[in-house]
Amino acid sequence: MDQEILYSSSYKISGRDFVNAGSVSVKIKKILKEIGIKPEVIYRVSICCYEAEMNVVMYAMLGTLDFIITENEVMIDIEDEGPGIQNIELAMQEGYSTATTEIREMGFGAGLGLPNIKKNSDEFKIESVVAKGTKLNFKIYLN
Amino acid sequence: MLLKDVKNVLNCKSFIDDKLLDIEISHCYAADMMSDVLKSCKIGSLLVTGLINPQVIQVSEIMDLKGIVFVSGKEPGDDMIKKAEEKNLPLLTTGRQMFEACGILYSIGLVGAEIQKKSEDGSRNTIQFVV
Repeated sequence: MDQEILYSSSYKISGRDFVNAGSVSVKIKKILKEIGIKPEVIYRVSICCYEAEMNVVMYAMLGTLDFIITENEVMIDIEDEGPGIQNIELAMQEGYSTATTEIREMGFGAGLGLPNIKKNSDEFKIESVVAKGTKLNFKIYLN
Repeated sequence: MLLKDVKNVLNCKSFIDDKLLDIEISHCYAADMMSDVLKSCKIGSLLVTGLINPQVIQVSEIMDLKGIVFVSGKEPGDDMIKKAEEKNLPLLTTGRQMFEACGILYSIGLVGAEIQKKSEDGSRNTIQFVV
């Protein structure tokens, strides 16, 4: 990487842990606030992180979130061990979801998460291997 | 208007210190799906929902929501109240059902808090927030 890293941290996310679900994203939001990142960027990063974190909690067994701030951007990498996504093109369509009734009863699984991450990020990449896991990488520019 | 006006007009039960209700509210979003809130709700809104679970509180923190009104007499559990207290997030419950609650709030001047679908020049949607 040619940009200087100003801050980085890494977090574990446990699948099916609905009690702590979202806590990593809340931590990241606090860090961005403390550093003094502008509000619009904070909201976009927080929304993307929360959607991605909930995806790990809802669908995977465990995941890791790497959070990096450089002078120009916030970069998030989320990698999980889980069922993977059969058809990424479908998963990127608004309204498409494989969520269970349990997930829907919690107010999620409307098929909006991945499209919402894409919408709120400046760069977005997704890779998935069925029965292995999913890797998500997104960037939000600071300016 | 103030959040305490919302409490009065919907005859709400409050689950936090009433001093926290002296905050200005200008727009409101109503949904049971948290996915919809994350996708379309303006930052800093009041949320009206029929959904009771701790994720509503987490979403509120991410979206900096100013308060939550639960409809149809649904009351938050102790775990939710505790989390909300830590975050100074006002929780209210009204006996009104969703349609009535929203109608009443609209009639007293609250406006919808949905972000615009697409800007006129076709550029990517940006998040709006209230300072």
